[in-house]
Amino acid sequence: MDFLTDSFLSAFLLLWRLDQELVQIIYVSLKVSSISTFTASMVGIPAGFLIAFGEFRGKSLVITILNTLLALPTVVVGLFVYAFISRRGLFGPLDLLYTQKAIIIGQVILIIPIVTTFTISAISRIDERYRKTAMTLGANLLQTAWVIIREARFGIVAAVVAAFGRVIAEVGISMMLGGNAKGFTRTMTTAMALEYDKGEFVLGVALGIVLLTVSFGVNLCFNYAQGKARI
Amino acid sequence: MLYKLRNLKKIYGPRTVLDLDELTMEEGKVIGLLGPNGAGKTTLLEILGFLRAPTSGDLLFRNKAVDFKTNSLIHLRRRVVLVEQHPILFTSTVASNLEFPLVVRKLQRGTRERIVDELLDLVGMRPFKEVKAQKLSGGETQRIAIARALACSPEVILFDEPTANVDVENQIAIERIIREINTEKEISVIFTSHDMVQASRLADDTLFLFDGKLALSTYENIFSGRIELTEDGEKCCFIQNRLSLGVNTPKTGKVRIFIDPTAVRLAPDQEVSTMQNTFCGRMVQLTDEQDRVRALVDVGIPLSVLIPKDQFKSLCLGPGEPVCLTCPPESIEIF
Repeated sequence: MDFLTDSFLSAFLLLWRLDQELVQIIYVSLKVSSISTFTASMVGIPAGFLIAFGEFRGKSLVITILNTLLALPTVVVGLFVYAFISRRGLFGPLDLLYTQKAIIIGQVILIIPIVTTFTISAISRIDERYRKTAMTLGANLLQTAWVIIREARFGIVAAVVAAFGRVIAEVGISMMLGGNAKGFTRTMTTAMALEYDKGEFVLGVALGIVLLTVSFGVNLCFNYAQGKARI
Repeated sequence: MLYKLRNLKKIYGPRTVLDLDELTMEEGKVIGLLGPNGAGKTTLLEILGFLRAPTSGDLLFRNKAVDFKTNSLIHLRRRVVLVEQHPILFTSTVASNLEFPLVVRKLQRGTRERIVDELLDLVGMRPFKEVKAQKLSGGETQRIAIARALACSPEVILFDEPTANVDVENQIAIERIIREINTEKEISVIFTSHDMVQASRLADDTLFLFDGKLALSTYENIFSGRIELTEDGEKCCFIQNRLSLGVNTPKTGKVRIFIDPTAVRLAPDQEVSTMQNTFCGRMVQLTDEQDRVRALVDVGIPLSVLIPKDQFKSLCLGPGEPVCLTCPPESIEIF
């Protein structure tokens, strides 16, 4: 019990002093996760919109596949991307392996299904009359799409928040594609795994506190957005 | 000519929702489109508003054929606006809702604000300008939806059941607005309704839709019935097990029966006729309709009767009084 208390106290001390290594790890984590979430949103939101409103053969199959991909294990994504960006892979010459870009690629693949399916769900809940009203009031296709996205905004924000929560807490992709290089590709989760391996828990606990705080903030945003969507 | 429809059909799966051989609508008028639920009124309005393409047939707007496959529909949609039965307002303020059609038409901010204020005055909703649209009642929502439609400066406004589900106060306000739209702004108005009385108050022309087709007469007095042979070999049509009408038709079993309200004869119950198909009941409603009086008589089922005013006066009948009516063979149509 003393050991746990000591670890917590030391961790709070590290946070209080804004330990440089700790700050660097948090910065890399937030940077990589934010870029992944932004990129996935740029792809997933329009894709979700098109799938929700499009009438095409195989639509339900596409939605089923996307739903299946929600449960995609991070190590599978890691392996898949590794096969493409390793030295012997198709994109080997681009030297992406063990870089932040590699982590971002893997995380984008991981969360595109989350953003897309949540967007489909948010837009499908929007009353059909919004589309018809926008059209009869003279809106063109883009303006009509904007009206629908605006009405579904809280649901879409919830999709983005959920995706961010997924990538900030994942470890498989960051470890396999980033390599956990200190000061470069070391994220909060990979650093915690390393500290555990070393049997040193202080930094791990400090990072755990930060990660939990970020997750808590993300969930607060998620609940707020979902609550707004229900109104 | 505002609209001309030729051989226009709208089919959903196995069901033909609209089947109109020929229909013309004149410019500058208030046109009432009457019919029961499922008659195809809303579908027709959506086609007239260029929001839904017909399955086949031609639609001419101001003598020009409408091509539903091209991108030019946006230009047509900016000339015709539809106000739905249950209009939906965007989740923003009343002012933002009214501004939307002006923003998509790229009007300057100053012009937008002036138009918004004018429209709020027209519908008597100026104090609600900055109120969240979702806080409005059904009637207020309907009025803002009308103002938003007017912001488009349309040539035609289509109203789908404009006074359904609103209280009497809002109903009066909405009817006043519709009249003003037509007379002062010279906008053609086409509206759907179940309400014969409302249609006669508002409309210059009235069209009747039944089962997706134009009906020559009013859709009222149409019932589902069952034709059976009686013991004395006569054919009788039983309506809701409350009324049996002697009919002369080769048909048997389930049918639809129409009793022409203009052909039904009305008499005080002291003058009981011995004619076939005479029923006694009670006068439940009387409505003044230009040169005629519409009487609703409860004879087990509510039957409408339309009689000229001078003829009605001679009958000296009032609401609640016992009355008899006779349905002569020429008033009955089986289909």
